Amino acid sequence: MRSTTIATLGIFGILVVLILLLPQTTKQQMQAAFYQAILPILRTGASVQQGLGGVGGGLKHVDELERENARLKLENRQLQATNNLLKNSEAEVNRLNRALGYKEQSSFRLIPARIISRDSATWWNSCTIDRGAADGIATDMAVVTETGLVGKVTSVANDVAVVLLLSDESLRVSVTIEGTQEQGIVSGTRASTNYAPDLRIRFLSKTANLKPGPNVFTAGAGGVFPSGVLIGQVKDFTVKELEGVATVKPAVDLAEIRDVFVIIGRK
Amino acid sequence: MMSFFLVLITLIFGSYLFQLSLPPVLLLKGAAILFVPAIYFYGCLAFPFPLVLGLTFVTGLFNDLLLVPQSAKSDFVLGTTILIYLIPGLIMHGLRPLFLRHRWQSHWLLAEISAVLTPFVLLAEYSILSFQRNEFFFNDVVIWRIFGPGLISLLIAPCVFFILTPLSHALGYRPGLPGTR
Repeated sequence: MRSTTIATLGIFGILVVLILLLPQTTKQQMQAAFYQAILPILRTGASVQQGLGGVGGGLKHVDELERENARLKLENRQLQATNNLLKNSEAEVNRLNRALGYKEQSSFRLIPARIISRDSATWWNSCTIDRGAADGIATDMAVVTETGLVGKVTSVANDVAVVLLLSDESLRVSVTIEGTQEQGIVSGTRASTNYAPDLRIRFLSKTANLKPGPNVFTAGAGGVFPSGVLIGQVKDFTVKELEGVATVKPAVDLAEIRDVFVIIGRK
Repeated sequence: MMSFFLVLITLIFGSYLFQLSLPPVLLLKGAAILFVPAIYFYGCLAFPFPLVLGLTFVTGLFNDLLLVPQSAKSDFVLGTTILIYLIPGLIMHGLRPLFLRHRWQSHWLLAEISAVLTPFVLLAEYSILSFQRNEFFFNDVVIWRIFGPGLISLLIAPCVFFILTPLSHALGYRPGLPGTR
């Protein structure tokens, strides 16, 4: 074996061992720095995809656009009205809580973000959003949409962050099931046949006997996810040797989401 | 040689980004379309051993940085894919004498061998994850996810090989032939 070959092999071995032994926080920072470096490429790709989608959208008929505009205006007014009612309710709840000596309820501070790339790796489910540490985002913050939970932030650079999606098997969230005392751990599946795979709740009691339909909410245990965020609806329930397992249809269509909100704290 | 090496690294990086925008093939139970292994295996055949190690390092590192979410409790260590790519990469490098014959038939055969080796990367990743998560199962989806990309590569790899060979010649690199820079 030539000396250059031996030297290269030695350098290769040292570099690999060094990378494998790096602390996990350093690895997260490396990934964040990598995404920050390729951010212009990802943004360009996202805008090209949006532009291609926009070609079809541009061909919509004017009547169709007018109808859509009218519908959106109506929806906007309805949402404003609902929001005002909820604000009143919040004030009322806080007033009662103060009277009872409880901690005040407060709504979340949300940062809107856009998904700029979706990781189509075989065994992992993640995406990249166009907001980062500069906007106050940090690791382990929950990511939601108006319909429910999306995932959590794993790596953060200045202007970009990686989000581990709820459909990934490694993301585990403690949950409660509406109308029952049942609590379990929800996670995604390692291999599923479609873009928006069903989720799985484990560690339920064998006697839970869940019927399809009830909503599944975050339990708030662990401190990463706030309680009461919708995850999905129970689809079916099976009894295994040691536990009950429920299948859940996610509330958020993880294949179609474009815009999300990162919960950066409470107001 | 170095210019072709840099071009190959750029192509691998570009292919990773391109693969991000490709949807999985639902007909094959969500199997992914992978260009990177074919390009990498071509590099293993075209380059001498030290550059093969360099290419392996870069390919594996790009893979983990781009595709494996690194959370605080990540169960797939950053850098593992470097070692995963090394094994089939060395097998391909061992077939280099066949590549240096510069006959299209041998290049086509090597492209198909590279396609056969493609599932190894996915199988190794799946095995590591299963071991870490204490749950090892094989169903039809898992099997398609592992071997489907290999099937797709049977078509892709020859095309990649027949594009990269003239590209290396255009850049003045003719492996094993005199006059190579």
